[in-house]
Amino acid sequence: MLNDKLGIKKLYALSSEKRKFSFSLPLKHKIKIGKRNYEIKLKTDEKYGTYILWKNRKYPVEVVRSRQNKYEILFNDISYTFSVETPFSLQRMKVLSSSKGKTEQEFVKAPMPGKIIDVLVREGSNVLRGEPVVILEAMKMQNEIQSPVNGKVVKVAAKANNNVMKDDLLVEIKVD
Amino acid sequence: MDLSGKSYKAFIERQEALKKQYSPKQAEKQHSKGKLTAHERISLLFDSGTFEEIYTYVTPADQPVEFGKVERTFGDGVIVGHGKVNGRLVFAYAQDFTIMGGSLGVVHAKKIAKIQEMALKMGSPIIGIMDSGGARIQEGVASLSGYATIFHNIIHSSGIIPQISVIMGPAAGGAVYSPALTDFVFMVNHTSYMFVTGPNVVKEVLNEDVTFEQLGGAEIHASKSGVAHMIYDDEENTILALKKFLSYLPSNNVENPPVMADDGSCSDINEKLRDIVPDDPNKAYDVKDVINNIVDRNSFFETAELFAQSLVTGFAKLKGKTIGIVANQPKVLAGVLDIDSSTKGARFIRFCDAFNIPILTLEDVPGFLPGVDQEHSGIIRHGAKMLFAYAEATVPKITVILRKAYGGAFIVMNSKNLGGDFSFAWPSAEIAVMGPDGAVAILYRKELAVSKNPAELKKQLVKKYRDKIANPFIADESGYIDEVIDPAVTRKKIVSAFNALSNKWVKVPSRKHGNMPL
Amino acid sequence: MKIKKILIANRGEIAIRIMKTARLMKISTVAIKTALEPNAMYLSFADEIFDNSEDVSEIPVFLDIEKLIAIALNTGADAVHPGYGFLAENAYFADKCIDNKIIFIGPSPDAIYKMGNKTIARKLAMKNGIPMAMGSEGNISNEEEAVAIASKIGYPVIVKAASGGGGRGMRIIRKAEEMERMFIIASKEAEKAFNDPSVFIEKYIENPKHIEFQILGDTHGNVIHLGERECSIQRKHQKLLEEAPSCALDEKLREVMGKMAVQIAKEVNYHSAGTVEFLLDSDKNFYFMEMNTRIQVEHPVTEIITGIDLIEQQILIANGEKLKYRQEDIKLKGWAIECRINAEDVQSGFAPAPGKIENLSMPSDPYVRIDTGIQSGSVIVANFDSMIAKLIVKGKDRRDAIKNCKMALDKVWIRGTKTTLPFFRLLVRNDKFQNGTFTTAFIENDLDKYYFNSEYEEILAAWLATKLFVEENLKEDSINVDFENGKEMSPWLMNKRVNQF
Repeated sequence: MLNDKLGIKKLYALSSEKRKFSFSLPLKHKIKIGKRNYEIKLKTDEKYGTYILWKNRKYPVEVVRSRQNKYEILFNDISYTFSVETPFSLQRMKVLSSSKGKTEQEFVKAPMPGKIIDVLVREGSNVLRGEPVVILEAMKMQNEIQSPVNGKVVKVAAKANNNVMKDDLLVEIKVD
Repeated sequence: MDLSGKSYKAFIERQEALKKQYSPKQAEKQHSKGKLTAHERISLLFDSGTFEEIYTYVTPADQPVEFGKVERTFGDGVIVGHGKVNGRLVFAYAQDFTIMGGSLGVVHAKKIAKIQEMALKMGSPIIGIMDSGGARIQEGVASLSGYATIFHNIIHSSGIIPQISVIMGPAAGGAVYSPALTDFVFMVNHTSYMFVTGPNVVKEVLNEDVTFEQLGGAEIHASKSGVAHMIYDDEENTILALKKFLSYLPSNNVENPPVMADDGSCSDINEKLRDIVPDDPNKAYDVKDVINNIVDRNSFFETAELFAQSLVTGFAKLKGKTIGIVANQPKVLAGVLDIDSSTKGARFIRFCDAFNIPILTLEDVPGFLPGVDQEHSGIIRHGAKMLFAYAEATVPKITVILRKAYGGAFIVMNSKNLGGDFSFAWPSAEIAVMGPDGAVAILYRKELAVSKNPAELKKQLVKKYRDKIANPFIADESGYIDEVIDPAVTRKKIVSAFNALSNKWVKVPSRKHGNMPL
Repeated sequence: MKIKKILIANRGEIAIRIMKTARLMKISTVAIKTALEPNAMYLSFADEIFDNSEDVSEIPVFLDIEKLIAIALNTGADAVHPGYGFLAENAYFADKCIDNKIIFIGPSPDAIYKMGNKTIARKLAMKNGIPMAMGSEGNISNEEEAVAIASKIGYPVIVKAASGGGGRGMRIIRKAEEMERMFIIASKEAEKAFNDPSVFIEKYIENPKHIEFQILGDTHGNVIHLGERECSIQRKHQKLLEEAPSCALDEKLREVMGKMAVQIAKEVNYHSAGTVEFLLDSDKNFYFMEMNTRIQVEHPVTEIITGIDLIEQQILIANGEKLKYRQEDIKLKGWAIECRINAEDVQSGFAPAPGKIENLSMPSDPYVRIDTGIQSGSVIVANFDSMIAKLIVKGKDRRDAIKNCKMALDKVWIRGTKTTLPFFRLLVRNDKFQNGTFTTAFIENDLDKYYFNSEYEEILAAWLATKLFVEENLKEDSINVDFENGKEMSPWLMNKRVNQF
C-alpha cells in the first residue's frame, strides 16, 4: 500500500464558544500553561466520587452526557461542552462552513422538565431575540422561554398542557 | 533493497506511475470537499502497517469503448485488501472518487467481488467504503452485471460474516442496494448521499424541488428512512466509531465476539437504578440512564439512534462480553411500538441471533401505537416481525420489565412463553392485559355510567386495579416471570443469568427457512 | 411555659432550625413525614414524627389546614410553628389554630390579613405617612384598567399579586404594548400560586436597593426593630444573597427607617417576628414595599449581628411573654452574609435543577454557619423549593465577611446537581459587589455571565473531554481471543477441519 499514514498526533477540544484547546497524543496527565507544566490527577474514591486533583484542590467532575465526539462535562459545578476534533475534522469544519453558508436553524429546547402552559408563537411567526415563545411551568414557576435569535418560526413542537423533558424541542427557528 | 538492477526497471517505473496517480493534487481535491482520500480512509481504519492491498495494478477492461472514454488507471478506482483492525483480520474495499468518480466498471466490480469471496472464505468481517458516481456508463451492461455479482455476494455472506457499509460520498441508483443489503450502514453528515433517483429525476418526473441533503442526506436516512444506522459529523469520527463498533462483533457466525478485559470498575450493585423510574406511572424517563447503569462503563453503542426513537437498540459490554440491548424508550411517545420501531427492533434482533450475541430486553411499553395511519400501513404485519424475530432467536434472551408491560406488546417484548430464557421485573412493573384506565373503563362501564361521581369512582378503581392486577407479584407467583428484583441488583442478576445461559444450544428442526412476515 | 410541644408545619432547613431552638428551650417537637420525602433530614431532629406518608393527595400536607389541625390535636401539640412559605402567612390558618386552642407561633390573624393584602397594607402605610411609590388605589380588574392607570403614573410600572410574595405573580412593564400580555401572565400566575388572581400596579422604582427591617413585637404592645438586612442581590425578585447590616445606611437613616418600620407594625398591633421591606433609591429616598408576617429565610444574618435567636423570641412571644429587649439594647456588631445555595443551573439562567444530592460536605470553620435540610442522598424534589443550604458567614466588617465568604465557598462540595455556587464565586469577586454600589438590577444589568470559573478550569475540562475521547476511540480496546496461535482454536477453523474429511 501507499505509505501516506494519517497518524493522529494532535486532538483539539473545541468549546461551544469556539475556544480551542490542543493536546498532543499520546495524552499526558499534564497540561502546559505558560511555560509551566502542571500535573493533573484524575481520581475516584468512595467518598468524593470522581474528581480532578489540581494544585492540591479537589474539583468534582462528572460526564453529564456524551454523544459521538461531543462531551458535556460538569467541572466544579459548571458545565462545559466540547467537541473533540482531529486536525482534519477541524479543517473539514472550515471547508464545509465556507462552502455552504447554510441558513442556520435554532432549536429552542426545554431548559428543564415541566409543563407547557402556553405557546405564544405559530409556524411562520417572526420572532425577535428575547421574545417569549413558550411559557413553561416548572417548580410552580411560570418560565418564559425566550427566543435566542431573530428569525422565523419554522416548527412548533410544543403543545399547551403537554409535559416536556429537559432538552425536548419546543420551537425551531430559522435564523435571519 | 537495491532496485537499481536492470531487471527491476519496469517494476520501478510502475511504482513511480502509481505514485503519480495518487498525487497530492488529487488528495487536495478530496480534502477541499471535506473528504479524505480512499487511502487515508483505509489507513485510518486499519492498525498501522497491517493493510495489504491486492490487485493494485489492475487496469480497466480492455473492451473497445464506443461511447466516451475510460481513463487507463491502475486499480480502476477501488482499493481492496485485508489487514488488522484492533488486531483482528478484516477485509475492506474503498472506492476512490478521484479516479473516474469512483465509478463501477467491470474490473472495479471484479475486485470487490474477489475480496467479498475471500472474506467469506476466511470468515472475517468486510467493510465497504463507498464514494462512487455509480455504474460506469461507458462500460454498459458489463458494469450492471458487476453490481449484480456484488449484491449476490452480500446476500450469500449475510448472516455468516458481518458486513458493514460506510457511505462517504454519493451512492445513487442501483449502488444503494449494496449498502442496503449489508448489516449496518454508516454515513457522514453533509458529504454523503443515498438515493435511488436523484434530485434531477425527481424534478423532471414530479416537478418537486429537493436538494441532495433533503432527499438522501445522512440526517434524513438516519432519522426518517432508517437506511443509515450511524451518522457522524466527519469522516475521522465515522471511522473511529466503526473501529469501536467492530469490537462488539464476532468475525463470523460461529465465533464469539471479542471479549474485553473486565476492569471490575463497575459494581454489581448500583443503587442509582432505584431512582430512575419515577413513582408517577405517567412520568417519562430516559431508558438510556437505565442501560448505562447496568452495562460496563461507557460501553453502550447505540444503533439507529435517530430512527424510531421509541425503541432503543444497541450493543454493550457486560463484564467485557458483548450483548445486544432492545429497550422501550418511555421518553419518546411513551415507548410505544409502532411500525418503524417494530422493524428496527426485528432487524436488530435478527442480527444478534445470527452472530451469537445474547439479547437483553428492557421493557416499559404501554402497547402498540393506535391509529388509522398505523393500522392501514400494516402495524399488524410489521409488529409480527418483532414477534417472529424474538421467537426465532436462539441466543440467550433475558427480559427485565421496568414498568409497563401491557397487552400484545408485553407478549412481543420477549415474554417467557415466547421463548425468553429469563424474565425479571422491577417492583415498579405493571403487568396486565391493558392499562388501568382502559381496563376500568371496560370492566366497570355500567357502574361508571350510573355513578354520581364517576371521576372519583374511576380513581378508586384505578388504584384497586393497580393493587390487585397491574403489579409484578401475580406474574411472579404464577411463574410467568422468574423473579421480582431490586433494581439495584439488576446487573448482578443479568450477569449470572447470561453466565448460566452461555452454553445455550437449541436444536431447530431443519428447514430451508421460516417465512417471516416481511 | 405554656408551650410544651410544637407541631412543625414545615419541612427542610427551617423545620430543623425551629427544632434546634425548641430543643434548647426544652420544648418537644412533632415533624410530619410525607410521601415525597420519607427519608428527609428534618425528621431526625424531631422528638416525634407524625407519619403522613400514606397520604397521596395532590395538596401537600403543609398546605392542608384541616389536616394540620387534626395532626396537632392528635399528637397533643399545643402550638404550631408554620416556618416560612406554605401557610406561614395564611390568616385563616392562624384563626383556625386559635379556634382549636392551639397557639399559632406568629402574629395575629388580623395582622396577617391586613399586611398580607397589599392593597390594605398600602392604605395603612399611607395613613401613617410612610413614603410609598405611586400606584393603583386598589386591585385592578382588567387589562384596560391596567393600561389606563399605568399611563397615568407613567412607565415603567410593576404589576404585583395582591396576596403574593417571593416574586411570583410579579412583572415589570416598560411599554404600554406589553401591558396586556404581562397583566394576564401575572394574574394567571398569581391565581395559581396564591389562589387569588387580583393584582395591583405600582410605579416601578428603577434600580433601587432592597432594604428590610427585622421587627419584633410582643403581645403587650412593645415593638422594636433589630436593624436592617440588604437583599438587593436578586433575580426575578428571588433573593439570592442577603447581608446585615447594609452599607447603604448610616446611623441616621437607619433610625428613620427603623422608626417607620416600627410604626407600621404598631398600626396592626403586630406581635412575633416580622419584616418590613423598603426600596431605597440612589438619592436615599425610601419607599414602603410590604410587610412579611413570618420568619424570613434570611433571618440568620440578623441573628448573627444582634446575637438574638429570633425563633426563641417568636416562641417566647407566642407564650405571652414580654420582650426582654428595649430598642436601645439592640447593638449591631460585625457583618453577616448569607448565600442561598440552590439547586439551580446558573448557566441556563438559574433554571431549577432538581436531582439527588450524591454527596455534600460543608465547611465547618468558626466563621461559618450552615442551615440546611439536605444531606448526602437527599433528593431535591421538584415540588418544593430548590434550596440546598444557606451558607452564612460572619466577619468583623464587610470586607472581612466577603473574604471569609470567598474561602467558605471554595470549601463547599456538592455533587449530584448543579447549584448557585458558581454564581456566588463570581459575586464575591465582583467590584460592584465589593464596593457596595449594587442594586436589585445588578444581576440583570451588571453581569454578562452568571458564574465564575478560573482560567484553568476550562482547560482542565477540555483535557478531560479529550481524555474520554482517547479512551473511547483510540485505545486498542478489544482483547481478541487468541485463536491464531492455536491456544484456542477458532470454531471457524474447527468446522473446516471437521468437515474436510
